[in-house]
Amino acid sequence: MRLKKEKLIEMYRKMLEIRHFEEKAFELYGQNLVPGTLHLYAGQEAVAVGVCANLRRDDYITSTHRGHGHCIAKGAQLERTMAEILGKKTGYCKGKGGSMHIADFRVGMLGATAVVGAGIPIAAGAGLSIKLRGTDRVVACFFGEGASNQGTFHEGINMAAIWALPVVFVCENNLYAMGTRQSRVMLIENVADRASAYGIPGVSVDGNDVLAVYEAAREAVKRAREGKGPTLIECKTYRHKGHSRVDPATYRPKEEVEEWLKKDPVLRFKAKLAEAEILTEKKADEIEQDVIAAVEKAAKFAMDSPYPAPEEALEDVYA
Amino acid sequence: MRRITYRDALREALREEMLRDETVFVLGEDVGRYWEGAFRVTKGLAEEFGDERVRDTPISESAIIGVAAGAAITGMRPVAEIMFGDLSALAMDQIANQVAKMRYMFGGQAKVPVVIRTPFGAGVNIASHHSQSLEAWFMHVPGLKIAMPSTPYDAKGLLKTAIRGDDPVMFFEHKLLYPVEGEIPQEEYTIPFGVADVKREGQDITIVATLYMVHKALSAAEILAKEGIDAEVVDPRTLVPLDKQAIVDSVKKTGRIAIVTEDCKTSGVSAEIAAVVAEEALDYLDAPIKRVAEPDTPIPFSPPLEQFVIPNEKSIIKAVKEIVY
Amino acid sequence: MPRLSLTMKEGTVTQWFKKEGDMVKKGEPIVEVLSEKATYEVEAPASGVLRKILAEEGTDVPVAGTLGIITAPDEELPEIEVAPAPPVVEVEEAVAVPERKVKERIERRIIASPAAKRLAMEHGIDLTQVRGSGPDGRIVEEDVRRLIEEMRTKPRVREVIPLTGIRKTAAERVSLSAQTAPQSTITMEVDMSNAAKLRERVGVSYTDMLVKAVAKALTEHPMMNSTLEKEQIKIFADINIGVAVATEMGLIVPVIRNANEKSLTEISSTLKELVEKAKKSKLTKEELTGGAFTITNLGMYGVDVFTPIINPPETAILGVGRVAEKPIVVEEQMVVRPVMHLSLTFDHRVVDGAPAAEFLQKVKQKLESPEALLA
Repeated sequence: MRLKKEKLIEMYRKMLEIRHFEEKAFELYGQNLVPGTLHLYAGQEAVAVGVCANLRRDDYITSTHRGHGHCIAKGAQLERTMAEILGKKTGYCKGKGGSMHIADFRVGMLGATAVVGAGIPIAAGAGLSIKLRGTDRVVACFFGEGASNQGTFHEGINMAAIWALPVVFVCENNLYAMGTRQSRVMLIENVADRASAYGIPGVSVDGNDVLAVYEAAREAVKRAREGKGPTLIECKTYRHKGHSRVDPATYRPKEEVEEWLKKDPVLRFKAKLAEAEILTEKKADEIEQDVIAAVEKAAKFAMDSPYPAPEEALEDVYA
Repeated sequence: MRRITYRDALREALREEMLRDETVFVLGEDVGRYWEGAFRVTKGLAEEFGDERVRDTPISESAIIGVAAGAAITGMRPVAEIMFGDLSALAMDQIANQVAKMRYMFGGQAKVPVVIRTPFGAGVNIASHHSQSLEAWFMHVPGLKIAMPSTPYDAKGLLKTAIRGDDPVMFFEHKLLYPVEGEIPQEEYTIPFGVADVKREGQDITIVATLYMVHKALSAAEILAKEGIDAEVVDPRTLVPLDKQAIVDSVKKTGRIAIVTEDCKTSGVSAEIAAVVAEEALDYLDAPIKRVAEPDTPIPFSPPLEQFVIPNEKSIIKAVKEIVY
Repeated sequence: MPRLSLTMKEGTVTQWFKKEGDMVKKGEPIVEVLSEKATYEVEAPASGVLRKILAEEGTDVPVAGTLGIITAPDEELPEIEVAPAPPVVEVEEAVAVPERKVKERIERRIIASPAAKRLAMEHGIDLTQVRGSGPDGRIVEEDVRRLIEEMRTKPRVREVIPLTGIRKTAAERVSLSAQTAPQSTITMEVDMSNAAKLRERVGVSYTDMLVKAVAKALTEHPMMNSTLEKEQIKIFADINIGVAVATEMGLIVPVIRNANEKSLTEISSTLKELVEKAKKSKLTKEELTGGAFTITNLGMYGVDVFTPIINPPETAILGVGRVAEKPIVVEEQMVVRPVMHLSLTFDHRVVDGAPAAEFLQKVKQKLESPEALLA
């Protein structure tokens, strides 16, 4: 592995953070502390971490309704993310956005949008901004395979392509858009094949192998920084849970679920690191305990935080 | 003072703002050097500022606005052009759900200084898909501001303010107004949002009119004056924020109001203004509120049909006479 | 109990996969629950021993209610606390929309513009008193404003009495008189010394004497006993004299018929009777009609001279003033005598001043030498 030991451990830790965070959020939801619904990222950690490990703090990302993972991978605080999910005043969006509209502009997380595919042209816009300003920042745009059928996918990627904008389009293909299997809504197997329609490179990778994702993203980010334009990376992955918290996901065959659970990205990476003697069992436990504590702390912070005052609903409409 | 056309006034505003602030840029279909704008507003700008800052786009309204949004939240000040107001429907999610709401739903983290310029209006026989007035759709979306200049003076001043402001602005122009001339000052100026302009003072009746209808109202007022009816014509200039006080003050003075707009009557902008008057100036009304608007139909093609649906001096005068007695 | 849908309030425990006392692993499904939407396998939130099952199969548990307790193998079982039910959002039963009863308003509604209503309220104007000049009689601001102006310039009214009955008739009659007959009044002073003596001696009133005197004078000046009808002066055959009597209800004029044929005493008793009846409103139609000449007396009110208005369609009316001691010149000497003024109003279309004066002269003479009246 080309990566430094510290970096690899950092990536492992991040994946674990996301995994435990999502479990905690799930638990709090069960205790009726999370208003509305939750779209859990558990199972897809390798994508967010693999991509964001290539990004600087001043790079941008756009995200989706299933965005906690992207947010954390980009460097957001667990406390304020959890507080926002619980609708508290101390959340990133002062309780105005919630799980599906989370954002942390300080770390370049330009916001999750709940409209499928809407983030794609917005990411292109951030790319245009970078180009006009003449910096070497990049944008990573996360979306699912379902979004690749939205008109904005076509319009946004095409525009990024013709203007050679520094955007890495990351399609997290978890095979299901809510209850609809990919094979029912497109005839092609690889979303990455659509890239050629825009004249940009498209690559399909094992989205549960964080290093594979990392490599593909590294290439794409390099291209972007060098002004060579966008890339489409398709990461084949899988949700551990249903679409949202209320979904028992009975539309997925049991064998398929079991098959994918065996390919758990966190466990796989842990095993790989152990094999390369970068991570001992003891060290892994330490990190896990540390992460669990951090997540507990975040949950406590969120639960102890106050709700926003009702009248705050009228603020922030205009500058 | 000097006389220039409405389109030239818009161009001046764009040019001055682009010179003043390098984060301001223009994007849209055919705005660049090859066509120089469907209505020639951006003529010469690509030559002066380059193809990067005056950028032609593919026919992708949704992405035009989405890209503008992404650029705005990362520090730029885009001025997006949608060629015809009717086509804003293609970008509705980006306008209403993304641009309008990003500041709010991200708890104030995002600044979205997007200006979306587009022309409304009928009268040139290009029918249903290129002649509508859809301002009511946008007036209903919290988070958007709306400007509708009726003269070159208002156009330049309002566009500069729109570009400098940190809020998203729907900037509605009118096809028939582009060649209309008007006086503007020599020196630079801006016009604040939320300040109506009394285009004609009067005692007998208040006529609130928007965009092209301001001119129809003024024309009608001249005719009415000869018959002894002194009309006051109030141009709100911006629908959001709306200068309610000016309208209420005028009604308090005259006791009568007719609202003239070019959108379809049902749930049009005139309905909102009528409701405001009924809520805040009811005790000063000496007669029912009158609304003059297009009937609830798409815009037809053939000239006699099109002329029938657009409000004109006659329909305005008829409405006025129904409540001045 | 997990929340399986956004609207779920409670779920049913359908099947426990583990028994009390079993070891469980975190993430292992240990119980199946059912909500209206679906069944779901609930996973153990931690590893340990399933110490207590609180919700048996088949029971309903509210969302976030406790299903069971897992402890570490050697941990004490805590006091069983059933998790407090989460705040239940009460969904109110849909209230049946009461049938709208449209009340028919039978009384007339006042239609007025909001501006008119406001102005009326500010100035305490009753809108029922305002006439609307707007469409369908709508009251507009101008109508109210006009009324306010009027009220400001006109004197204030304290009481309103409708013009009815005798007053109305009288008003109509004097209007008619003033409009049709150009009237002129001449006056004369009368020395009533001899009349006073006669009154004492015989016991008749001045009015009685006046009726007799006028009746006699009318025989000598028939023109005064007439009426102008269209283009004809009709001279009456009889001399019927009306005497105006002030009553509570107004001025009533009973008529003494053929006064010239009656003696002074007859006139006196007739007049008394008529006045009695008049005051009690007991006069007959005959007694109230047929008059050709009227005498009206304001002497008891202290009036000397006045301009009575002819009782239409008569030609003249004689106004009588008070009898008062006054200094007059008789044969170049200043003496004090009882003096009375007569005011004769005549219809100038029928007679001129001279003949009217001649008539009045006769009346004066007869009063100053009243012995002749006894005849």
